[in-house]
Amino acid sequence: MNTTRQQVSVTTAPAKISFRQNLLEALSTKWRVVPVLLSLALIWAIFASQSPVFLSARNLTNLADQIATTSIVALGLVLVLVVAEIDLSVAGLAAVCAGIVGVLVVNMDVSLSIALIIAITVGGLYGLLQGSMIVYSGAPAFIVTLGFSLMLQGVLLILLPAESGLVPLAGTDLQFLAAYRLPTTLSYALPAAVGLIGLAMRLNDHRQRVAYGLPSNLMRSMAIGVAIIFASLAVVAIFNAYRGVPLTVAVLAGLIAILSYATTQTPFGIWLYAIGGNREAARRAGIPVNWMKMAAFSILGMLTALGGVVAAARVLGVSPASADQSLLLEAIAAAVIGGTSLFGGRGSVWAAILGALVIGSIANGMFLINASTQLRLLVQGGVLVAAVIADALIARSGSSSSR
Amino acid sequence: MQRSGNNKMVAMNDDAPILSLAGIGKHYGGITALSGVDFDVREGEVVALAGDNGAGKSTLVKIISGIVSSDEGRILFNGQEVSLRKPQDAAELGIQTVYQDLALCDNLDTVQNLFLGREMHSGLLRGAKLSRPLMESRAHAALSSLNVKIRDYSVSVGRLSGGQRQSVAIARAVLSKPRVILLDEPTAALGVAQRAEVMALIARLREQGLGVILVSHDLGDVLDIADRIVVLRLGRKAAERPVAEWTRSSLVAAITGTDH
Ligand SMILES: Nc1ncnc2c1ncn2[C@@H]1O[C@H](COP(=O)(O)OP(=O)(O)O)[C@@H](O)[C@H]1O
Ligand SMILES: [Mg+2]
Repeated sequence: MNTTRQQVSVTTAPAKISFRQNLLEALSTKWRVVPVLLSLALIWAIFASQSPVFLSARNLTNLADQIATTSIVALGLVLVLVVAEIDLSVAGLAAVCAGIVGVLVVNMDVSLSIALIIAITVGGLYGLLQGSMIVYSGAPAFIVTLGFSLMLQGVLLILLPAESGLVPLAGTDLQFLAAYRLPTTLSYALPAAVGLIGLAMRLNDHRQRVAYGLPSNLMRSMAIGVAIIFASLAVVAIFNAYRGVPLTVAVLAGLIAILSYATTQTPFGIWLYAIGGNREAARRAGIPVNWMKMAAFSILGMLTALGGVVAAARVLGVSPASADQSLLLEAIAAAVIGGTSLFGGRGSVWAAILGALVIGSIANGMFLINASTQLRLLVQGGVLVAAVIADALIARSGSSSSR
Repeated sequence: MQRSGNNKMVAMNDDAPILSLAGIGKHYGGITALSGVDFDVREGEVVALAGDNGAGKSTLVKIISGIVSSDEGRILFNGQEVSLRKPQDAAELGIQTVYQDLALCDNLDTVQNLFLGREMHSGLLRGAKLSRPLMESRAHAALSSLNVKIRDYSVSVGRLSGGQRQSVAIARAVLSKPRVILLDEPTAALGVAQRAEVMALIARLREQGLGVILVSHDLGDVLDIADRIVVLRLGRKAAERPVAEWTRSSLVAAITGTDH
């Protein structure tokens, strides 16, 4: 290789990139959901072949109900994991917030909407407090939040003393909300409207790209957009084939849309990923790193509060036993199985949902085919281990040139 | 050695330094990191800062980029005395520093890295919607003007070559239209071809009229690209000469202090 001093042109010798490198690159970025989708398809195929009711509208509606809380909490966890933090106190917070709603609505006759606002505010403030303690002290989130998790269980026992602990929610507005289904017209109109807004944004993007002389593939972009719209309408049709779209599912869909937009189309979202990718570079770029982390914890707190209420509405009660740590494990598993990195900087809103679908489907299907609890735990745990190992391998290959 | 010793603007004189440090000293407890150092950078000039470990290079770079303040001496920018107490002070004057490792987020792509912390918007959703097309076109313009070729702007920079990464880091600094750019070991850990890339990029910066301060251990780099070489030794300026008056052996001698 000869480099003369006169030749002042930066021509990058195209580095020989192996097929494997290319595949890893694609899998760690834009195709990250592909292996998750494939696993999900495989899981569904297996259970569908074993149980005739697995793919029925009724069972899929059940599945959606079962994963709603996990999904809502996992959405928030993704944000916290992306900034390279973690929160192990979500199960406790979910139960305490559900307890607050139960006590307010049942024992104190407060209206449900006020109680919900209070619970979500408490969740948000809790996240802010916990987050500020972590970022300003520099203590590891993993231990701080573990400590908070214990404290929350104490708080739950104060709120719902053991002897009179169970607050039944049957007959309250919460039962009404849990059973509420969207009217058919609205159930199609909402996703169609959101989808059209999305299409309009894609079209606008295309116009701008053309105006700036950048390459743009309108057909491809539109095709993807239209495919997403039809997919969501198909999902709605499945729900409508049984009893309609549950309110919880509609709320979850709305959260996905908002968070997916916020994480990919706003500076806020890019900054979250930047912090997880290189904290120091983010700081030097003027990003308020501490505030961003606290915001992530706070959003997680609000979502966890909501998730706790959804869980309580589903079983129509809260009790000291509601602080079931399986919510924590499932939410973290959902985020990680979907492709969120525990090292920070990688993961998406879709990851949380797909991951929740994967573990939710395993639990649901195993139950349908009467598999033993032992087998279910073995499979769910195995999937989680496989996912986290895959993540570590991708992370290690992720910056082959820099490390 | 001539210098513009007055405080008044010596405007648009080709020879007037953009940045001029006079009698700079810095002490850490009993340790003298720098003492009595004079240092100038002019437009369209590459000044290399050479010296052994502990000579004071990093301290001088930190003073110029506003990370630490000097205890003694004066700093003139455009002929006017300034104080550089924090990195923003330097950035506002138009002094940008490219640190070796700390500049990029590997998980973000080229465009996201270039505009990190100063993202651009357009259309009705001002402030709430990024304009990827706008940023991508600006990124393309900036990278083209520096002759940097990156095939796909949406590949995460962790996947780029070392030379491309360094180029993106430098382009990021150049985007804020600085007048002085400080490069800290820009070729460390680069292969031959990638080093040539970065050297060509430094030459482009000079052509565009920036004052470039290059800190490097690599004497080959320094002799190849610099117009002037300043040697620090034990916190003092040991020598300063145009590149033509240096040879590798005289440079080694000045750095190690065996030139007397
Ligand atoms: N923060 C600090 N505290 C104490 N001494 C320091 C500090 N930074 C630098 N020094 C000392 O100042 C001298 C110059 O160091 P430095 O500027 O890092 O040199 P170089 O970058 O050329 O290797 C050294 O003796 C070093 O030990
Ligand atoms: Mg140093």
